[in-house]
Amino acid sequence: MENKHQVPVTVLTGFLGAGKTTLLNRILTEQHGQKYAVIVNEFGEQGIDNDLVVDADEEVFEMNNGCICCTVRGDLIRILSGLMKRADKLDAIIVETTGLADPAPVAQTFFVDQDVANKTKLDAIVTVADAVHLSSQIEDHHEAEEQIAFGDVILLNKIDLVKDENIDVVTKRIRKINPFAKIIKTTKCGAPLKEILNLDAFSLKRILEVEPDFLESDHDHEHDDDVTSLSFVSDKPLDMEKFQNWFGKLLQTKGQDIMRTKGILDFKGENDRYVFQGVHMLMDASPMGKWPDDKERSSRLVFIGRNLETMNLKEGFEACKSE
Amino acid sequence: MTTDLNQFPQLDKTKFEQRGIQLEIGVPVTCAVSIGNYIAAGFGDGTIRIFSSGEKHKTLKAHKGVILCMAKDGDNILTGGDDGYFLKISLNGEINEVTNFGSRWVDHVAAHNGNLVCSSGKVVYYWDKNKKEPKSLNHDSTIGGLAFDAKGRRLAVSRYGGVTVWKKDYSNKWKSTKLDWKGSHNKVSFSPDGKYLVTSMQENVLRCWRLKDKLDFAMSGYGSKVKSFAFIDDTSYLATSGAIDAICWPFDGEGPMGRTPICVPYVGNNQVTFIERFPDEKAIFAGLSDGSVFLSQIENENNTIIIRSFTGSEVSAIVMTDDKSSIFIGDMSGNTLWTSIWDQ
Repeated sequence: MENKHQVPVTVLTGFLGAGKTTLLNRILTEQHGQKYAVIVNEFGEQGIDNDLVVDADEEVFEMNNGCICCTVRGDLIRILSGLMKRADKLDAIIVETTGLADPAPVAQTFFVDQDVANKTKLDAIVTVADAVHLSSQIEDHHEAEEQIAFGDVILLNKIDLVKDENIDVVTKRIRKINPFAKIIKTTKCGAPLKEILNLDAFSLKRILEVEPDFLESDHDHEHDDDVTSLSFVSDKPLDMEKFQNWFGKLLQTKGQDIMRTKGILDFKGENDRYVFQGVHMLMDASPMGKWPDDKERSSRLVFIGRNLETMNLKEGFEACKSE
Repeated sequence: MTTDLNQFPQLDKTKFEQRGIQLEIGVPVTCAVSIGNYIAAGFGDGTIRIFSSGEKHKTLKAHKGVILCMAKDGDNILTGGDDGYFLKISLNGEINEVTNFGSRWVDHVAAHNGNLVCSSGKVVYYWDKNKKEPKSLNHDSTIGGLAFDAKGRRLAVSRYGGVTVWKKDYSNKWKSTKLDWKGSHNKVSFSPDGKYLVTSMQENVLRCWRLKDKLDFAMSGYGSKVKSFAFIDDTSYLATSGAIDAICWPFDGEGPMGRTPICVPYVGNNQVTFIERFPDEKAIFAGLSDGSVFLSQIENENNTIIIRSFTGSEVSAIVMTDDKSSIFIGDMSGNTLWTSIWDQ
């Protein structure tokens, strides 16, 4: 699997009018010597015309695999399989989702279909947010909040139209929902493409590289429908069997509310660091080499989702500590 | 340390490779059909190659992008592409546009007795051979596959949630019947005797309907997605890809319910990715994920011969000429073999 060439796929999401089309036009027109295909929604914003733009229908269906929240994008499986038959090799594929779509089925498609997983890999979820309207959109539309929750990179766009202190307010709001996304402040989506494409955000190795900041979040326990994040740290090694039982059951029963998880774990009796990440119920985990000598061993875990305070996460995590 | 040479793939050319023509085109072979003693193959760069014995193959540039699907219409080749074109191409290379959908892909094509169909997105377009304008048949979701029955009276359209079977009534109006089963249905086919309808699904399973009473059942146990299947020797067997063996379900007598399939084994752990029938015989060509192709008798597992050896790329097309003299094989890297089957 490791040496197979997989085309990276960036999922581009964001509320209507946030600036997705501006970004797509930049990606397609800038001279970068790369060949990108863009999959857009037929009901999306107009104005992109290019040979490598493919119309999609955003058709979501449930897999019959006993996993209640395992919905995937059927049209993406079809389009990606078609693109992989092209004579010219693509450097990257960008999937635009409509402003109101939940990005989870797109992400899950890359875990579920064998052919898609063999030939492409999910690179990152990039969320374009409108600095002027984000706060009110989050209040009024749960989709706006979810898009922030799923993002690996958040382009906070149109900052030229907002006062500095308001930018801080919006940034804090984003951080509360999603502590590990990289926030890039832009006007007209003017971020360098190398900060948006080919990030390898879904590789487990990458989690270790960004590790220093991915857990620095303070969270308050508000009892509402908001998407929030919770993180836990333990200096005491965890018991692998206990953790697997607890975490497996948790994703199985609460996977719909848990949007994303990431973690680095220290198991008793194991020399390697274990790294994992998940989207809803689907998870990718693997040992990632020895603990560095200059670092204290510890386990850290982040959840982003809804109703996290009802899941007894702290108690569950505490109970996994080894005797 | 000693090295066991037998553990390496057999690199000697098969006799079929020695006497046939092998090409390295470098782009995926996406589809192929037989027309008489000719074979037409479609490629990921929009080209078509036409092979016939005793002549050099002919290359045509037909589409701007990937040729996604192919069917035969009498002596013509029908193709659909990701450039939005639906084309009708004669064996001597004349290309005619049936229609084009702009940026929308033509995902599937089929034909029967001069009547043409194609699908693009959620719509099937049907051209009656006596009419110029197509009839649109609408569906709620994107179409996964198209198939006529042997007599051309019914058209099956697979989609999310099942299959829609279209039929013209006595007043020549289209009527549809729905066969529902949750999930995404891809390739669809009627059994040659017209009694069954089979689909391969996004999950590693096939769904089958017995049409007289709409009884439906699953054929499961596969390790991967079933991308290819074919009815063998009329409706004796349904041979399928998706496992390390070719799985052959008995369809004679009372059908496959409650019966176990015959598993035709191959050496190694490679998945079968393509199945083609050997007309009128209880025999199959099986293409594997490593590029090798075998010919096997279903009821005699010791009677398997190798046609093409390992290439390292998944077999994506196998087709035999109608006179059963030659076969064409292609894979996802564009390695092709065109060879006669019989020793001189």
